[in-house]
Amino acid sequence: MLHRRPAAIALAALLVATVSVVASPTAASADPLTRVPALNAAEPNQVQGLKVTQGYGFATLAWTHVDGATDYQIERTPVDADDVPTGNSVITGLWRPNRQVNNESPTFADAGFNPGLRFQWRVRARIGTAEQPYSTPVSGTTQGSWGNPDAPGESLRTQWETTQGAQYTSDVNEYAYTAAIDELSDRMRVVEIGRTILNRPINMMVFGHPTPPATPEAIAATSPVLINCNVHGNEPGDREACLILARQLAFSQDPGTIDVLTNSTVLIVPTINGDGRAANTRGNNAGQDLNRDYSLVRQPETLAFVKMLQEYRPVAGYDGHEYGNSGTGDLPMLPPRHQNVAREIFDESMNMIEGHMYEQGATDGWWACPYGCTGASVGLGEETILRNTLGLKNVVNSLLELRSSGGATRPDEGNTSNNRRRKGYSALWTFTQFLDYHRANHSAIRQARGEAIKLQSGNTGRIVFRGSHEVPAHPAPHPGETPPPVDAPRQELILDNAPCAYRLTEEQYNGERTDGAVGHRTTVAQRLAAHGWRVVKVGDGYFVPLTQPERGLIPLLLDGTGVERLVAGERVYPTVTGRHNGPLRVSGFTCVSGANVNGPVNVQPGAALVASGSSFNGPITAAGSAGLFMSGNTVHGPIQVANVTDAVSLINNRVNGPVNLVGNRAGGNAPFVAANTVQGPLNCAQNTRVPTNLELSNSVAGPRSGQCAGL
Amino acid sequence: MEILVTSSARRPGRPTRSPRHPRDRGLAVRARGVAASLLCLVVLAGCTGKGDDSAAGSTAPASPIVTGPLCEVLPTGTEPGNPASLTGEPVDVALQWITVLTAFEAAVRASGLATDLRGMEGLTILAPTDDAFLRKFSAANWDELILSRPDDLRALLRAHLIDGAHSLADLVTAGNITTLDGTEATVAADGAMARIAGDAQTLCVDYRATNARIHVIDKVLGDLPTTAHEDDHIGH
Repeated sequence: MLHRRPAAIALAALLVATVSVVASPTAASADPLTRVPALNAAEPNQVQGLKVTQGYGFATLAWTHVDGATDYQIERTPVDADDVPTGNSVITGLWRPNRQVNNESPTFADAGFNPGLRFQWRVRARIGTAEQPYSTPVSGTTQGSWGNPDAPGESLRTQWETTQGAQYTSDVNEYAYTAAIDELSDRMRVVEIGRTILNRPINMMVFGHPTPPATPEAIAATSPVLINCNVHGNEPGDREACLILARQLAFSQDPGTIDVLTNSTVLIVPTINGDGRAANTRGNNAGQDLNRDYSLVRQPETLAFVKMLQEYRPVAGYDGHEYGNSGTGDLPMLPPRHQNVAREIFDESMNMIEGHMYEQGATDGWWACPYGCTGASVGLGEETILRNTLGLKNVVNSLLELRSSGGATRPDEGNTSNNRRRKGYSALWTFTQFLDYHRANHSAIRQARGEAIKLQSGNTGRIVFRGSHEVPAHPAPHPGETPPPVDAPRQELILDNAPCAYRLTEEQYNGERTDGAVGHRTTVAQRLAAHGWRVVKVGDGYFVPLTQPERGLIPLLLDGTGVERLVAGERVYPTVTGRHNGPLRVSGFTCVSGANVNGPVNVQPGAALVASGSSFNGPITAAGSAGLFMSGNTVHGPIQVANVTDAVSLINNRVNGPVNLVGNRAGGNAPFVAANTVQGPLNCAQNTRVPTNLELSNSVAGPRSGQCAGL
Repeated sequence: MEILVTSSARRPGRPTRSPRHPRDRGLAVRARGVAASLLCLVVLAGCTGKGDDSAAGSTAPASPIVTGPLCEVLPTGTEPGNPASLTGEPVDVALQWITVLTAFEAAVRASGLATDLRGMEGLTILAPTDDAFLRKFSAANWDELILSRPDDLRALLRAHLIDGAHSLADLVTAGNITTLDGTEATVAADGAMARIAGDAQTLCVDYRATNARIHVIDKVLGDLPTTAHEDDHIGH
């Protein structure tokens, strides 16, 4: 059962003005612009207590439930400052009980209007199809576009905003707008993380307060949060929200915003698929759907993205899309479900969606619901989809869809601009809520990620090549009618006996590939490096141990059973299990699993040891070796690791004795030294890269020194 | 039913200048010359942006009248992209402001025909809506057309182009048209609107751009196969 923590609203408060207009037959509003209705007796079944609260790009209507009501219609009328109608009344919304959790307290986010206009709203119940009397009207002026038009920076507007949604923001305008924010705000800088096939920059906006940390490693240390705004070029709504959010993050003096940016770092990739956005295609310029490529990384865009993930290590993410099913909710969402995703990551992602988004959606009137929502068979376990790839990289995250059309519940969206604004501002609401969730639950997210990394690195449990964690129906009343399909793994796609590693041949590892965009093709070696996986070369083989944080993803790419594999590597199983008495001299590539080793361990030059779930009585020494991977072991004795050439990884071990890492090249990568308990000193010196603890600090009884002083 | 989208006086008397050109001056010949330049070879920034400084804006003069049931849900009055603001725009730029034509507009850009369209002394576009494209092509098929089948894409576009700038009324009077792909089709009055080739309905007609008329229709013309059903369950 999922626990649901109370959700804080901090940043979201920025978007909700305090000028909410309240009117009822018995209470007059303090707002001078509010027309105070006469004291009339309520008619039977007339909606009472209508309250309108202005958000950014939407107005939340809340009212008292009418007994027996089947649904409610929301009517909006443009009015002038004196509340005289200036246009026709239009039914803009239809509230149905499947919109929200606590549906005895109905709310509806009316949206689509141009921000800043003034309206009058009324709501009426329908019993069956019989229309009941309208509520007393409530009028209010909606929030204008955020940012003082006379203040530098704040005055920036996107092409989408200035054209009132008639045009989406072009690539050129995005570059100019984000460069201007970078120029005018210390809080934000634009980092180019790669180029598209057509050589468009793929930018990432990095936000921190008072200024973002200087390096990717320093940003990773803040456990940052990531929004990927636009992977399908013909689904641009979320991207516009990201660009507006960027302006607020950069310039708002709201304490909630500053708190978010002080606590952590916000990473926003507005356009991973710039070529597709420009051409209005779903895929990139090679016609590849990039959201079917985040594991295989055949394309330069996805390759750049996973490289960024490796370097910046976000702990939570949202991935923006639009969805053509007109019957679904406003905001279909879904957690990473591939069964190799650690349970902690799945659960916390569910908590984010159901515990935060469903609850806040019911407060603000947005219809968040499980992807599929009204019965569509979508949302499975393909690891090529970013939602799942991120989960397999131990990132709490969700898919976000924006329903493409207005559908039955938003009948006024034949107007394209209304439709675009509803989508854009609903995405802005979601991303703002996401940042609040991340802020409020930072330690819980980090905890889930830490447990997941320890679990994955331990290489325990079965491997599933395709199949999903079940997303159970939210207890009634729940938003939407159905959870996504169960998608249990087929028996032939389950491997109970997980190998220790995969061995790739020279040809497999470094050979030319025929997949990927012409002129941008990469080898398996390059792709695994982009993922950040550690590889050791022993003899003529390249070994990829599963004792790594992304253990759940490794077999999907390297096992012959992988449904969308990169290459069919050879499974390598442990050769040392059970009790081993006497010295262990490791030559070649050796896996030790579930063993009890009594005696010193010496990893010879050029050799590699992978040890998991084992107990060692005696020192462990690796000098000039190819690699040392240790996860979930107990070691009574010192660990001495020197001049290791390809990879060093020490995760979640208990060590009674000193740990010393000196002069390791480690393939040019940072050695992993994470979540260990060391009864003794921890010293690191002269390693090519400073070791990293992956934000899982070590418990060290003795002094920490040298490059490991901060671990 | 005819819907007037602005309160400005209707100006029905304005004659449509529609010089006739021999068909052999059509796009097929000239398109070849620009084929190599179709790809957007970007160095630092992309090449698609028109920015927000396009002339189409709120300072437009009195609006000409577009008609049709869809007009009222497109930019109107003084909104950016209103019909009056487009009259002085090159036709490819005008297409960027008609919010239901994002697929057609992207196709014009991808095809490399924009320069040719600007160069024509008169042009009529029967432009299918985005919904029409969704009913016609699967996402994968559409991407393929845009990205790697330029000849088919141009042929598809030519099936929606007519030589000379014609009001819908002129087309109805003529009773039939020949599109630039050589196809003949009927134009039949249907109230204030018209049906083209039997079942393509006009939705909002008589947008004016420089040397051009644009009529928004609800169906993709031409002879490419319908593939929309192939990705009914496309997600994410």
